[in-house]
Amino acid sequence: MKERQELLQRIVELCDSVRKSGLDPFDVEVREFFDRLRELLPKLKTNEELYLDVQAVLGLADVIFQQGEWIKHKSSLLYLDPLLITLKLYALQPRDLAEVLVRAWHPIIDLESLSLPAIREGLDYWRNLPGLDERFKELEVAEVMTGEIARRELAKMGILSDEDLTALLDRTWRELKEAVGKKEFISYWKFIQGKSFEETVFRAWLVSFLVSYGYATLDIDPLEEEINLRPLPKPQVLENVATFSVPIAISREEWLKRRKKLA
Amino acid sequence: MPEAPDVVELREKLARAAQLLFFRHHMQPGAKAWELRRALGRDYEQILKLLDAELEKLGLTVKRVSEGEEPSESDRYFITLRGHPKLSDARTFGWRVDDMAMLTVALAHILSRGGKAPLKEVERILQEKFPRWRVEATIDRFIRRGYLSEDDQGLLYLGWRAMAEVDQRALLGLLLGKEKAEEAEAEGEEPEKEPDSGTT
Repeated sequence: MKERQELLQRIVELCDSVRKSGLDPFDVEVREFFDRLRELLPKLKTNEELYLDVQAVLGLADVIFQQGEWIKHKSSLLYLDPLLITLKLYALQPRDLAEVLVRAWHPIIDLESLSLPAIREGLDYWRNLPGLDERFKELEVAEVMTGEIARRELAKMGILSDEDLTALLDRTWRELKEAVGKKEFISYWKFIQGKSFEETVFRAWLVSFLVSYGYATLDIDPLEEEINLRPLPKPQVLENVATFSVPIAISREEWLKRRKKLA
Repeated sequence: MPEAPDVVELREKLARAAQLLFFRHHMQPGAKAWELRRALGRDYEQILKLLDAELEKLGLTVKRVSEGEEPSESDRYFITLRGHPKLSDARTFGWRVDDMAMLTVALAHILSRGGKAPLKEVERILQEKFPRWRVEATIDRFIRRGYLSEDDQGLLYLGWRAMAEVDQRALLGLLLGKEKAEEAEAEGEEPEKEPDSGTT
């Protein structure tokens, strides 16, 4: 079942990459993929598999459309070898490139003007605008002398945390490494699970910092709906790696359901 | 002798067409075919031909830009320069040489890739010659001004303004025929003197 899903997923991703990154659509063996899909169809059981199959068929249909567009472009007078164009773009100096644009450029001539409704609107605004005295009238507030407040009081009010965030993150990171033990990862939901809903949300918030600051990474398997947390031996900023945000919703119902499951 | 009523009407229509095309009424300049039909009547294309003949004397022209392959009522008409400006003139319009170079690179790359290219790819090529912060800010400006457009998948296309203002075939032809300034110099051709890049 997993193999089937992987194949379908691969076809969908390949078709996506043709659309998104402008790959040559003729690099995709459309006929061969359709044959594979035809063979797979009787074996597909779950809704998820059927949905992926539909997506794969739609993706391949889009590739055929892209092939049509590609042929149209190649047969048009605008078609020139992309490699040749790229080489020229790299070789020429900015001034030469500017010259090229200017000689193919016919700027639009237009004038901005006020229309009658705009003048009317301006007049209404002016008439309704209160005078400066009124607009900058001082707010009546009672003067209060400055005083002191204890850190604990601020923490109670929710303005300051009891613990410094860095120390808190460090503690959570160590906790994560201990929880993982000899394995490389731990289920995200298992790790953030707290005694109360509030604690769970708080731990999820801390984990988001751990991931953002390079203390841990998230492995997501969209097909299995699994999210795993993998602590890194030391904090590191991942370079040359595409980063993206992962919204993870936590509702009270979801928390209750997972608590029962983990109990 | 007073002019015949049909000549007067024609003059009025000509003036109306000029007003519609010169003055900006919406976010974009120019006017759509259906707007011109409504304002000038069914024979609006004939009026525009007359206007074009008048504008030729001033070095301007009326240009129709279609959104699709077939002409439609949502095609837009603009007034553009009939010829092209000089590089030194373009700088007085508020364009830096670097900005023009970046637009050439973006447009040529998109055109060579069949009319669309990933934003990241265009940025990568531009970053070979220009600092990253300049590249990002300039591409944003090109998008705002309508020279480029971006879809939600991060693909760049030619924007409405590039369609109206840039002769795409000429751009690619000139690019391929363009020799490097040093080569031209070596052949005894003195390149045009250009002051420093300046600011917009």
